[in-house]
Amino acid sequence: MTLVLLLAIPLGGAALLALTRGPRLGRLHGALAALTLGASLAVAVAVYRVGAVTALDGFLRADALSAWMVGLIGVVSALAALEAPRYVTPAGAARFYALFHLFVFTMLLAVTTDDVGFMWVAVEGTTLASVFLVNFERTRASLEASYKYLLICSVGIAVAFLGTVLVYFANIQLFGDEEYALRWTTLLRLAPDLAPRVVELAFVFLVVGYGTKAGLAPMHTWLPDAHSEAPAPVSALMSGVLLAVGVYAIVRFKPVVDLAAGPAFTERILLGLGLLSMAVAALFLWAPTNFKRMLAYSSVEHIGIACVGLGFGGPWGIAGALLHIANHALAKSTLFLLAGRIRAAYGSSDIAAVRGLLSALPRTGGAFLAAMVALMGLPPFGLFTSEVLIFGAGFGKGAILEATLGLLLLLVAFGGLLRSVQAMLYGPAAGPPPRLAPGSWPVVPVTLALLLLILTGVAWPPGLGDALAQLATIVGH
Amino acid sequence: MTAATNLLSFAGLVVTLAIVWRQSWPGRLRLFAFQSLLLAALAATLGVLAGRPRLVLLGLVFVVVKVIVIPRVLRRIGSGVPVRPVAPGKSSGVVLLIAGVLVVVAYAVMLPVRTVTALPTGGAIPLAFAMALIGLFLCVTGRDALGHILGFLVFENGIFGLALLATYGLPGIVEAGVFLDVLIIVLIMEGVVGQVRREHESIDEPKLRELRG
Repeated sequence: MTLVLLLAIPLGGAALLALTRGPRLGRLHGALAALTLGASLAVAVAVYRVGAVTALDGFLRADALSAWMVGLIGVVSALAALEAPRYVTPAGAARFYALFHLFVFTMLLAVTTDDVGFMWVAVEGTTLASVFLVNFERTRASLEASYKYLLICSVGIAVAFLGTVLVYFANIQLFGDEEYALRWTTLLRLAPDLAPRVVELAFVFLVVGYGTKAGLAPMHTWLPDAHSEAPAPVSALMSGVLLAVGVYAIVRFKPVVDLAAGPAFTERILLGLGLLSMAVAALFLWAPTNFKRMLAYSSVEHIGIACVGLGFGGPWGIAGALLHIANHALAKSTLFLLAGRIRAAYGSSDIAAVRGLLSALPRTGGAFLAAMVALMGLPPFGLFTSEVLIFGAGFGKGAILEATLGLLLLLVAFGGLLRSVQAMLYGPAAGPPPRLAPGSWPVVPVTLALLLLILTGVAWPPGLGDALAQLATIVGH
Repeated sequence: MTAATNLLSFAGLVVTLAIVWRQSWPGRLRLFAFQSLLLAALAATLGVLAGRPRLVLLGLVFVVVKVIVIPRVLRRIGSGVPVRPVAPGKSSGVVLLIAGVLVVVAYAVMLPVRTVTALPTGGAIPLAFAMALIGLFLCVTGRDALGHILGFLVFENGIFGLALLATYGLPGIVEAGVFLDVLIIVLIMEGVVGQVRREHESIDEPKLRELRG
C-alpha cells in the first residue's frame, strides 16, 4: 500500500501541478516534496523491518536494494525541492514543478518495479521527463546540451533494451512463454539454467545501455554538458540519484548473469569500465574551466569508483559500492546546490571568475569547502569509509594491481579538484563583490546532508550495517 | 513459416541498405515508412502462422505509430530543410561497404543466440540485428538532427524485429511502454529542432538586415 502511495504522490502531484497556476504552485510543490520524502522513508523503514514488500500482484516490489534507492531518491529530491523555488520563473513555474515531480516519479518507479522490462520503460522515462528541465533556461548551450542528452541517452537505453530482449529470449527459450518471464524474481529463480553465452551477450548490451545513463566512460559524453547546463536543483537530482538509478539497473542484472555464467565475467567488465571512468575523469579534473562541469566530471569519477567496488565483488566490495553511491549522492547534490548559489552570486560559472569565496561569502564558501572535503574522500566523511571498503575489498581479493591503479587515479583526481577549489576559495577577489540573492540560506538541508555524511563516515547509525549486509546478500547471491 | 519470415527480414535489411544509399530526405523517409510496414507485416505473419492473435494487434499498432504518425512528424520536422541534392564527390560506396561489414558482424555476434534457439524464425535473427547495427551506425554518423533521428528509428526498428524473431514479442505492457517512449522521443525532438531553427532565424535576421542596409 505504501508502495503504491509512494508512486501515486509524485505522479498525481505532477498532474495537479500542471493544472495549477499562481502562488499556490510553490506551496503545492513543497507539500508534495515533503509527502514524497515521508513515503520514501516509510517504505525504506518498512522493508528493513519486515523484508521485501510487494504491491499490484507483485508488479511492484521493494527489497532492501530498492529501499536503499528509494530512501536516497527521497532525501536528495527533498534537498533539491527546497532549492527549486529560487530557479523557477513565474511563467515556467507550473511546467518546472510538474516535470520535477514527474522526474522523481520515473526514478522511483524504476527502482520499485519487479519487471525488468518495465524498469527499462521507467529509465527511459527519466530521460524524457528531465530533458526539458535541462533546457529550462533556454540558452543556446542548454539547448545543445539537452539535444545531446536526449539523443545519446535514447540510443544508449535502446541498447539496454536489446539486452533486455536477449535476457527474455534466454528465459523463455528454456521455460516457455511465461507471463512473468521478465520479473526479476523469476529471472533470479531460473538464472542457474539460462544459456550462459546468451546471458553474457545480454549483459554487455545492458552495461553499455544503462552505463550510458549511469555516466560510465566512454559513454559519458553527454553528462558534463547536461549536468552543467541544467538548473542547480536538476543537476543535484541528475548527479545525485539519476546516475545511481543507472547503476541500480546494472546491479539488478548482475546476480542473474552471475548465477548463469559465474561472477568473473561481470566483475571483469565492471572493473574495467570503472577504472576507465576514473581515468577519464581524473584527466579532465585537471583542466576544468567551469565549476559545474568540474562537479559533473567528478560524478563520472565516483560512479567509476562504485563500479570498481562492484567489480571487486564480495560482501565488502558490494556494500562499499552501494554505500559510496549514497555518500556521493549526498555530497554531490549539496555541492550542486551550493554551486548554483555561487553562480548566482558571481554571475558566472567560470572557475576563473570566482576568487576569494571564503572571505566574500563565508557561509556558502565554508559549506562548499566542507562538502568538497567530503567529496575528495577525506575523513571524517562517509566517502572516505566507502572508498576504504572498496579498495580494501580489492586488496583482500588479491587484485593488487587493479586496486593500486585505482588508488593512484583517486590521487590524481584529488589533486585536480584541490587545485581548482583552492583557486576558488582563496586569493584576492577580482571584479565586483559577489551578491547573494536574498532568501533563506539553505543552512538546514546542507547541514543535515553533511551530518549524514559524517555519520556514514565515523559512527554508523544502528541498522546501517544490517542494511548493507542485506544489500550484499541480494547483489552477491 | 521460415521462408516467410526470412523473406520479410531480408527485405527489411535491403530497405535499410537503401536508406544508407539514398541521399534525399523525402526518399529516405519513404523508405523508413516502407521498412516499418515490412516489420508490421512480419508481426502479423508471425501472429497468423504461430497462432498468436496478440501479434496481429501489435502489427496494427506498429502501422499506426511507425508507418503513419512518426513519418508524419518527421515530415513536419524536415519541411524547413531544403532537399539536399546528391552531394557531388560524396559517394555512398564507403558507407555501404561499412554497412556490409556490419551485416557480417551481426552474424558473428548473434552466433550464441542462433545456436540455442529452436524457433523456426531463428535464421532471420542476425538479419534483424544487422538492421539495428546499421541504424546505430547511421545515427552516430548522421550529419544533422534529421539523420540522427532517422538512424535512431531504424535502430529501434531492428530491435523490434529482433524481439519478434527471437521471442515472438515482449509482454504487452512493455511493448506499449516502448511505443509510447519512441513517440515521445520523436515529439520532443520536433520541439528541440524547432527551437534550434527559431534560434538560428533570430540570429540570422539582424544579419540580413545589416546586409540590406
